[in-house]
Amino acid sequence: MTTGRSDSGTLSFVASKSTPRPLPGRHPLSREFIAQHQRARITSALALEVSERGYRAVTVADIVKRAGIARNTFYENFSSKEDCFLGAQQLAMSAALSRVVDAAGEIDDWPYRVQAGLSAFLCYIGEEPALARTCMVDALAAAPTSVRYYEESLQAFISLFRLGRDVSPHGHELPETLEEALIGGVFWILYQRLLLDEPDRIGELLPELVEFALTPYLGAESARAVAADG
Amino acid sequence: MSDPVNPSVESAEYPPELARLPPGRHGLPREFVARNQRERLIAGLAEAVAENGYAGTTIAHITRHAAVSRRTFYEHFSSKDECFVAAYDTVMAELRQRVDEAFNQEEEWPQAVRAGIAAMLDFLTAEPHLARLSMVEALVAGPVVIERYDAAIQGLVPYFQAGRKGRSAKVLAGLSPSTEEALVGGMVSLISRRIFADRTEELESLLPDLVEFTLTPYLGSSEAAKVARQG
Repeated sequence: MTTGRSDSGTLSFVASKSTPRPLPGRHPLSREFIAQHQRARITSALALEVSERGYRAVTVADIVKRAGIARNTFYENFSSKEDCFLGAQQLAMSAALSRVVDAAGEIDDWPYRVQAGLSAFLCYIGEEPALARTCMVDALAAAPTSVRYYEESLQAFISLFRLGRDVSPHGHELPETLEEALIGGVFWILYQRLLLDEPDRIGELLPELVEFALTPYLGAESARAVAADG
Repeated sequence: MSDPVNPSVESAEYPPELARLPPGRHGLPREFVARNQRERLIAGLAEAVAENGYAGTTIAHITRHAAVSRRTFYEHFSSKDECFVAAYDTVMAELRQRVDEAFNQEEEWPQAVRAGIAAMLDFLTAEPHLARLSMVEALVAGPVVIERYDAAIQGLVPYFQAGRKGRSAKVLAGLSPSTEEALVGGMVSLISRRIFADRTEELESLLPDLVEFTLTPYLGSSEAAKVARQG
């Protein structure tokens, strides 16, 4: 029994996936594109700096130097290091989630939906390892708002996983905190691999993560079959 | 042999109820005094951080809580960070010891896991400031501490790997190289979120879910659930 398409109603903060294309000459859309690109450049620089030295040690001067921009430009976009960090976090989480929603939303069969979602997530992390690392552990302690953003993305994943209770033969018996624990486990594995600095190997984790996530709902054999099918 | 530290400064800063060493020239071996001061500084840091957060804690805060002089601080540590690392290591060693003791008291592995998790939750509940120090403040105390944090969590993996012993081929086939890592990461994630939210009173109620979650891959869900609900 499948539950049909899920809506992304819980993901109101997810950025629209349509990025305005730059148009020649002076046009309002091209300014917005440039602004978005600039923010992304600054947040990437912050992520690289943070992953190298830790959040506390990084200064605005470090970020500005890494991004190759003027100090003024930094302050046109962000009011402080913390503000920049929150911007980075928000950007990363909404980008990651939007990939997950896009990939998972296409699929009706829940186990394959989870697999598609995890696959998209791993892809994103492989492309943006510094940003991902920054969001996973450092994020939580950087600012009170950080925890809120983290919680929101966690909730989105929890909703996706929870749908499995409807397709599981013993869904009603599963521990209440199961989804939270599964996602915490997946995040921890990914974080450990990110620390090893081998982002191109992140994708290799997909089958075992799918198996880990699906086993409590479907049993080991069915979970493995889905994982092998990836 | 007299203590080279200026005795009059020490005695002026000793509130009577905190004094563990008699002020002045006590002729105690230098090592004994040093160890005692180090412990006081570590305890002082824990209290200071609980009050002010890591960023807001100064060396003055630490020395005031520890009832030692600033000079004494610098005899033991070169910075706040270094003092924090020592505090973190001390808390982790204590936690590890309690978990280990509880785990090793049980003959059967599933009960040992349950006992170990219960001991961890008990400690964190009884010491909410230390819980916060080790799981929240640790994340902003610099790369050395983060490394320790990672290692501490990974250090729980062997307790679960022990569960593979004697399992059927079918069960073992359902496990992957990273299963224990994922279980530990998931467990710590549940605990950490509640500490972050200052809801340490909820930690003990996590015990049944944590036991079921971690034992299921080895025992199956109904057996794991039984162990989870044991009194």
